[in-house]
Amino acid sequence: MRAVAISVQGLWKRFGTKQAVAGIDLAIEAGSFAGLVGPNGAGKTTSLSMMTGLLRPDFGRILINGVDVWADPVGAKALIGVVPAEVRLFERLSGAELLEYAGRLRGIPAIEARRRAAQLLDVLDLAPDARRLVADYSTGMRKKAALGSALIHNPAVLFLDEPLEGVDPVSAEAIRRLLTRFVGSGSTVLFSSHVMELVEQVCDRVSIIDQGRIIASGTTDEVRNGRTLHQAFIDLVGVRAHDGEGLSWLGSSSV
Amino acid sequence: MVGLLVRLKIRLLLNAFKVSTQTAVSFVFSSVAAAAVALGGFAGLAVLRGQTEAVDVTTVVFAASAVGWLVLPLVLFGLDSTLDPSTLALFPLRIRPLALGLIAASATGAWPLANVVGLLGVTVGLAVGVLGVLIAVVAVVLQVLFCIVLSRFVTTTLAGLLRSRRGKDFAALLILPIFALYEVFVQVVPRLTAEGKITEKSLDGADAWLRWTPPGLAAHAVFDASTGHPLTGLLRLLLLAAIVVVLGGLWIKQLAHALVTVDSTTHAAAVNSASLRFGNRGLTGAVAARTWVYQRREPRSLILWGMVVVLALATSFETLRTDYAFGLFSAAFFLSVFAGVFHGNLFGMTGSAFGFDAVALDGRTAMRAYFAGSNLVIAAIAAPLSAVLLSALAVYARHPATGLLALSINLAGLGAGMAFSNLFSAVLAYPVQKRPGNPTPKPVEGYSMHAVGIGCGSLVGTTLLLIPMIIAVVATGHVVAALRITALLVGGAAYGLLIAIAGVRISARIAAKRIPELAQIAMQSRL
Repeated sequence: MRAVAISVQGLWKRFGTKQAVAGIDLAIEAGSFAGLVGPNGAGKTTSLSMMTGLLRPDFGRILINGVDVWADPVGAKALIGVVPAEVRLFERLSGAELLEYAGRLRGIPAIEARRRAAQLLDVLDLAPDARRLVADYSTGMRKKAALGSALIHNPAVLFLDEPLEGVDPVSAEAIRRLLTRFVGSGSTVLFSSHVMELVEQVCDRVSIIDQGRIIASGTTDEVRNGRTLHQAFIDLVGVRAHDGEGLSWLGSSSV
Repeated sequence: MVGLLVRLKIRLLLNAFKVSTQTAVSFVFSSVAAAAVALGGFAGLAVLRGQTEAVDVTTVVFAASAVGWLVLPLVLFGLDSTLDPSTLALFPLRIRPLALGLIAASATGAWPLANVVGLLGVTVGLAVGVLGVLIAVVAVVLQVLFCIVLSRFVTTTLAGLLRSRRGKDFAALLILPIFALYEVFVQVVPRLTAEGKITEKSLDGADAWLRWTPPGLAAHAVFDASTGHPLTGLLRLLLLAAIVVVLGGLWIKQLAHALVTVDSTTHAAAVNSASLRFGNRGLTGAVAARTWVYQRREPRSLILWGMVVVLALATSFETLRTDYAFGLFSAAFFLSVFAGVFHGNLFGMTGSAFGFDAVALDGRTAMRAYFAGSNLVIAAIAAPLSAVLLSALAVYARHPATGLLALSINLAGLGAGMAFSNLFSAVLAYPVQKRPGNPTPKPVEGYSMHAVGIGCGSLVGTTLLLIPMIIAVVATGHVVAALRITALLVGGAAYGLLIAIAGVRISARIAAKRIPELAQIAMQSRL
């Protein structure tokens, strides 16, 4: 049995009257490619923010490779890389400067940070745009720059929130290969996504979150239980039945 | 189409009441200000009646109105949706009705109305007789039409650029000359006018060439018609009308082009440097390198430094002319206070990008390095900037030695300013949001008192910490000048450095415990 890389125990968070996260427990083994899926507003981003030390939980404990995120943030932050959903980058730095800055923030010497930045930009197909400002990058390019920044210090655990949103298929494939290689070396990835097909393809573990609670968790096969992950998700979360009544005017056959 | 676009413009304006209390108050305030400008403009032009310089002043006022129409839409490009042809590009619209509708939309609102009412003061101030008044009314209509068409032509031609990052940066920087001009009109012009140094005769030279511009044609047409030369006046109006028609034709051509070439690509150029500076200075060097890049590339930073200079000069202008020493010390003091106040919300002003830092920053040592890196860059800009400004002011006042004494106070004040900016960043951080048409952001609703607290706290705190320096300057009045100045400069710099270091240490201790909260505040900023 592999060691647990991410351990979440009894995690709670409330914003005013809204219970955003209501007692989450998770245990993700090292070397896993884990997916966290759920409908909009289910609590995915809130949970990831608490796991990465950006949002203080009301209750609960989070351990990264045995280091408590909230008791020892210094130790925990050194172990993780983060790509948030709403990519927050320094827009007035060029791509090369951004990755170098990320490396130097993590204590990597400038020369080494530049070397790693150049390699990551190359792998992420951003080398031709390395000297352009991030402000001028497309959504997909920004995602790739954020991913490069999160990987530059070779974290043990990588948290990704909607990492392939807005990324073209060719770049998405390059990112998938990069992440698969990363996981193959024993590192751990936890990522949230709405794209069930993607989760199904790359993740060996899946957790489904709804209304702040984990409603299913296990290996991808266990959660699917003979269905597609998409169907399993719909069955577990439920679907809003609405066949468009009242829109009789809509469609080519209408006048 | 005219009715539709006018209703759209009115709806966009009235939506201020639905957005927030702040925007509703701003709308009411703006409408009241427009009414004041209308009445003030009308009265200002009307009182020129019978004065020999009336036509010169009227010409300058007409020209100033045209400049306003030219510049403000560039600054407000993102605010008025009807200015950007890309918002209409998807609809199947014919050009000519669309053009008429856009002109009508431009003429809708409190400020265009204020412009017309204000300029109609010319019917009292310059026009004589029925024919004169008739020509004056036509001249005002043509003048406003010229302004609208000119403004539309420029914004449509530059629409692609103004949608790009570089164009937005350029438009943002336009606020600086406007702000400087405002300060000059509020602080300098009234005093010089009261002293008789600015009179109507001062405008003689300007009128010599302004009379041949479209606004000059309008003003001089009224004058000609009122002084027994109605045909000359009529010819001027015909010429002005021809210019409006030609400009309108060019605009329609540009509009037709813009509607089929909506392009949001920025054609961004690459930056020169491939790497960041201060590579061997650890985390402090990394933050300093990033801050340094931002001071050069982020228009907001350039604007804040420009405002520091303008405000410091404006607040010390009067005292510099009456009491040079007090004036120089005031400039030194305000330069340091404003440098601190404008950087007193480090995390909120960094915005959501602070999340990028927050996932790596982990404790007191890191926060010390973070504050120190930021302070080093601010000080590296503020100190030489203050030295140059104070030297120039001291030379202007013909007391260069006093300028050096003021610099010693400034150096100590900069240390205090940095200390309070760090402290307030840790304690009173607040999210900010973009202001439409204004590159300097405002506090998100509910956080205004944080901004007031930082401003007042920095002002009072810096004043208190400067008391020992002021005592030192006063107490060493009898010492040989060279020795006194050297000692005070070194002492001021050392004192400022000590305060700044203490500020970094105290602020880092507080901020290290609040990194998640500071990150959440920063991520609420909308920049």
